[in-house]
Amino acid sequence: MENHQVDLPENSATSRRRLLTSLLAGGAFAAAAPLLATRASAADETTTTTVAPPNRDAADNNVLNSLINREAQTVATYKTAIAATKNANDVAALTLIHDHHVAYEQALKGYLGRPAVSGNTTPLANVTGAFPAIAAQLSAIETATMNQHIDALNTINGHDAATLVASIITMEARHSAALALVSGLAPLSAAGD
Amino acid sequence: MTQNSTPKYSRRSMLTAGGAAAASAAFLAACGGKTTVTRLGSSPTTVKMMDAAVTDVVLLRTAMSIETMVSNLLSDKVITSLADGSAASVVSGFASAHKANLSGISSLITARGGTAFNGTNEKLMIAYGQPALDLIATGKDKSDVLALAHALESLTAATYQYFVSLTNEHSVRAAMMRIGATSARRAAVAAQLINPGTQGFAPGIDDKGVATVATLPSSFGGLSAQQVALGPVNPESGTRVVVLMDTPSLNSLIY
Repeated sequence: MENHQVDLPENSATSRRRLLTSLLAGGAFAAAAPLLATRASAADETTTTTVAPPNRDAADNNVLNSLINREAQTVATYKTAIAATKNANDVAALTLIHDHHVAYEQALKGYLGRPAVSGNTTPLANVTGAFPAIAAQLSAIETATMNQHIDALNTINGHDAATLVASIITMEARHSAALALVSGLAPLSAAGD
Repeated sequence: MTQNSTPKYSRRSMLTAGGAAAASAAFLAACGGKTTVTRLGSSPTTVKMMDAAVTDVVLLRTAMSIETMVSNLLSDKVITSLADGSAASVVSGFASAHKANLSGISSLITARGGTAFNGTNEKLMIAYGQPALDLIATGKDKSDVLALAHALESLTAATYQYFVSLTNEHSVRAAMMRIGATSARRAAVAAQLINPGTQGFAPGIDDKGVATVATLPSSFGGLSAQQVALGPVNPESGTRVVVLMDTPSLNSLIY
């Protein structure tokens, strides 16, 4: 009878767990080494003088709530303007802009979440008269709303809020110019040039 | 009786050595200095690209290049010779307004220790500025004048809106959007001159099923490429070349 005997140390100096750990550590180091080397060289050559703004900042809540109020009031104003307008194309155009402002109010509220105010629903003006007069009043309201948003950018710290407000400003500028033009202003005057 | 003892090189010791070798190789690769390698033949040396940060000054300099490019395009002979009536005065007014923006942006740059950039954006001129002019020159279609103006104003407005997401300083964001809003206004006016009246506010299609130019194309300002059909009609397909105009990116910023 043959006896096959394998001599194994009772307490292995290098356990399987330790081996796996060292392999993993080696692999991780191998993967990270080039990255670390690149970062190190770049850090020597570039200097950043400005600090990137945070994505969100609770300090922006007040100014964003003021924009929500403005948008809610603009929505209410468009409701009165739509009620005072007869022509179907004009009603469709005002409804389109009304819906844009509803979207702005909802987007700002969605961004803020719980700290968002419900919004002031008092119209900014009692918009009445023939359509050119209504359009002229709404154009002025759009310009004022747009300026309020631009001024807000002076204080908004959060990157995401600033980006959202910028996308609103672009369209409110368009609203204002389009309404100015259909109110009877000359093209360059409507463009503000 | 046969006794088999543990082999000299066990699987365990091989794994240990292998792990240590991999870690050492990686360490040496990361920390290794320059090694002279003998070359056969000649090969060009690699020039390392400069490290450039996208700062507020870079964005403002790029804004200047866009304003200059748009002003130059709108006052180019190809455009001025085709524009007639109200379109001529409107496009000329737009070009002047873009030139007038330069001094304000220049002040913002110098106040932050930068140098104003008075040239055009060469990369974007090559990408779509010059091709657009060439198409218009070939097609000689008067409607292309306002179509180009609309696309360029929309592009400029989108550029400023995009730059807000890259800007650090609050006051620069506001200043950019104050200028960007004027371009958005001009875009709306150009759209109204192409497709007038309140029926032109919303996106729609004409009786041939072709999308019309909308004064208010979306709820929020968009950042997608401006698409404008310019130049002669292809006699075979009946279509025109669509030029895509994108906002500046990392390779077209003025560092």
